[in-house]
Amino acid sequence: MSVAAAEAPPAAAALPAPRWGRLALTGLVALLCAAPFLLVLVISFGEKVEGGSWTWGLTLANYERFFLGHDWPNALSLVYPQRLWFSVWYAALGAAFALALAFPCAWAITRRSRRTQAAWLAFILASLSLSEVFVVMGWDVLLSRNSGLPAWLKALGVTDMLKDGGWFPLLIEWDLANPRDLKFKTSGFATLLAMTYIVFPYAVILLYPPLSRLDPSLAEAARTMGARPWKVMRTVVLPAVRLPLIGSALLLFVYLLGAYVAVTVFTPPEKQTLTVTIYDAVRGQTLDAPFGAAQSVVLLATAGLCLWAAARAGVRR
Amino acid sequence: MMARAWLAFCALFIAAPIVVVCAAALNGGRSMLFPPQDPTLARFGEFFAGDPVWRTSLEASVVIALGSAALATLAAWPIAYGLWRSGDRWSRALAGLGGLPFILPPIVFGVGLGFLWSFFGALGSMAAGVLSHAALFLALPLATISVGLQAIDRAHLDAAATMGADARATFRTVILPQTIPYTVSGFFFAMVLSFNEFIVMFFVSASGFATVTLQIFNSLRNGFTPTMAVAAILFIAVSGLTFAAIARWGDLPRLMGADPARADD
Repeated sequence: MSVAAAEAPPAAAALPAPRWGRLALTGLVALLCAAPFLLVLVISFGEKVEGGSWTWGLTLANYERFFLGHDWPNALSLVYPQRLWFSVWYAALGAAFALALAFPCAWAITRRSRRTQAAWLAFILASLSLSEVFVVMGWDVLLSRNSGLPAWLKALGVTDMLKDGGWFPLLIEWDLANPRDLKFKTSGFATLLAMTYIVFPYAVILLYPPLSRLDPSLAEAARTMGARPWKVMRTVVLPAVRLPLIGSALLLFVYLLGAYVAVTVFTPPEKQTLTVTIYDAVRGQTLDAPFGAAQSVVLLATAGLCLWAAARAGVRR
Repeated sequence: MMARAWLAFCALFIAAPIVVVCAAALNGGRSMLFPPQDPTLARFGEFFAGDPVWRTSLEASVVIALGSAALATLAAWPIAYGLWRSGDRWSRALAGLGGLPFILPPIVFGVGLGFLWSFFGALGSMAAGVLSHAALFLALPLATISVGLQAIDRAHLDAAATMGADARATFRTVILPQTIPYTVSGFFFAMVLSFNEFIVMFFVSASGFATVTLQIFNSLRNGFTPTMAVAAILFIAVSGLTFAAIARWGDLPRLMGADPARADD
């Protein structure tokens, strides 16, 4: 495999590219891929009109309302910054858990034969494409009180053990129990579990290329010099894939910022994220499209910042 | 040994909710119990022949998935080709723009598309749905076709050039045949993800039509039901079969970025 092939353009002549074709393609991509984001940005400066409609405008009121509250300057309300904080918090933890699970998994997959690798990748991709709706449906049953984990734990006697051990006050504080039983919905735990599950396959897919391109002789050399597997992992493998790891973490984080179904079903109402309030403003009860757009812009800015950092981590490689 | 145990654990983690959903479809009653009570296959009949809402939404899902995947693949080809051939500023900008919707939070893209389509008075039309998903998943065929173009052996192109093939002939005899598996993979990636996508379609459909995932979410107020689980089984089967086919007939490790030099170990 020559390195030059990837860099220098191939020798053969190029297909003719008619100017109008190029323009049409650019127009289409600009209209469908870029214009929606621009519209969100522009409308976030607009104003709400009574009756659920809105007009163009050039006001910062929506952003003021987001960061300082509806009644500023009479009163400060941090409801929306708090929503943003929950978005960031769940997404960061979900991405971290998924990576921690996926790293050894992707590593183990790359050590298998090419055929086995293909089978694993197909399995991972099939679960990756699974709709958030179905993922939530599955965990909803698994976490439900009468036929899921709480019921099984009770049957196994774990619930009584936890009760006798004095763990219940703590579990109740974490939304994981009521005074009589364990209950996992709705709780931060259920939200994080679903989010981790949703991005786990993405994490494997993102970590697979750097891990499979890792020169096996490096780890081999470390092993022959007497390093134990854990030490090889810590001193050879992890440093070699540090940057892809950071890049993947940021991509997963951005993906989870947009989680919606898991939050509406599994998160306690007072801890729900920005996606839910965006929905409420644009399509739901509050019906204030410019304010929804402003919230979207804040979410977009958070995501953009992370992607920019991810791109920089990739460039420095 | 430990690696195997970990793989087994991960497989279990992935499979658990899927198995539960599949089993829940067998419930005789209205609630999702696991293990299922009074197992019956009646829910399957209900899904396909009962309330027409499910058949209509399945049709919408299929039309949008196939249409958007075809459009995305068609649009991705010239972009990927330009990127590979010249790699100039224009092609790179085009590819960057095309990848934007896939990488940013989909809810924001959905909100924006909602605004866009209401300008054109197309909010809630199937055509808007098809175009929206084509834009959202353009990045997938773009990526797979780019991998395919880079995988073309330079020697073949040189050979074609020395034998006097013009650009069209080279394209027809070398480039196209070698990239077809990657093009097909890209199409199926886009199709399967469109099939399962929810939030963008939610804003674009504006209750004008419903895909299956949308229909499930809309009926969620009364909780999940075994009939919805039938839909889940159908979708899981489609995803599984599609990726199994790509793994069988395509080069999945390479498509996912494995080192091509170690293809035959």
